[in-house]
Amino acid sequence: MAMDAPEVDMTPMIDCVFQLITFFMLVINFESTQADERVKLPESEIAKPPKVKREDEVTINVGFIRNADGSKRVKDPLVFLPGEDVSISQMTPRIKKDLQMYKLQHPGDGIKTTIKLRSDSEVPIGAIQDLIKLYQEEGYEKFALQAMEEAPKE
Amino acid sequence: MRRRESALAMVKPDMTPMIDCVFQLMIFFMLTLKFVQAEGTFDINMPADGIPGGFPTEDIKVRLVADADGNLVSLKIGQRHLGNDDRAFERLNSEILRAIGGTPGGPASKDTEVEIDADHKLHYEYVIKAMTACTGRFDQRTQQAIRYIEKIKLAPPRR
Repeated sequence: MAMDAPEVDMTPMIDCVFQLITFFMLVINFESTQADERVKLPESEIAKPPKVKREDEVTINVGFIRNADGSKRVKDPLVFLPGEDVSISQMTPRIKKDLQMYKLQHPGDGIKTTIKLRSDSEVPIGAIQDLIKLYQEEGYEKFALQAMEEAPKE
Repeated sequence: MRRRESALAMVKPDMTPMIDCVFQLMIFFMLTLKFVQAEGTFDINMPADGIPGGFPTEDIKVRLVADADGNLVSLKIGQRHLGNDDRAFERLNSEILRAIGGTPGGPASKDTEVEIDADHKLHYEYVIKAMTACTGRFDQRTQQAIRYIEKIKLAPPRR
């Protein structure tokens, strides 16, 4: 007397899986944020994203290469560029190159690019100012200092 | 004939390929998902000639002094010492409110510019704290940020 294998009702599982897929599809963000995970931003309860979207912006990540225990591997801060890390003094040729590209794309326009500076909490402000100065020398005027949005204190 | 019809009615679609695909999709979305924390921004206008917008403004000078390790030693507004702890930034916030005449959003808020003059070694987080204190405060009652100052600039680097 052979017994038929009992059929499992798959409907609830498929429902759940579709719900999960819908959730992941909605929260996923394919946009590359240009944010480097090695940069630990300081927090601020007042800092908010700009109300009006900026015309053009370049994100610059400044931070330290750290060991597993959090200690700094190199004393001086580095600029984290895609694929390589350079010191602030090595930034001039890159700034010039970016500016050339911008002028080719926007002939006759002034520089409307905002330099968005994402800096690690422990980076000396002098290093950031030196970087700003390099950009200023090429004619950039708009800068933005980034901070992590902090939950307001109770 | 009747037997063939009832046999057709019993045919159930094989769900296995669809479930396979759905699981593949779910794994893809789970692996590519990145939780990005929200970031805020402080805009600073810093043209090379030093006069943002070409209009001279009334300045409030905030001085931040650092020790050799980059920690805050002293916070000053004008010539007044405010300390070097978290309370110092609260005092700075009160001083800025007083400097704009106690009315956030008024003409003084738009015309006054704060210049932050920090030591070269000072950690970035203290400058952000000073900028937060100068920019305004978060009102618990309305759950809104109240803006004191709109223009903030950094003084030339100190060596």
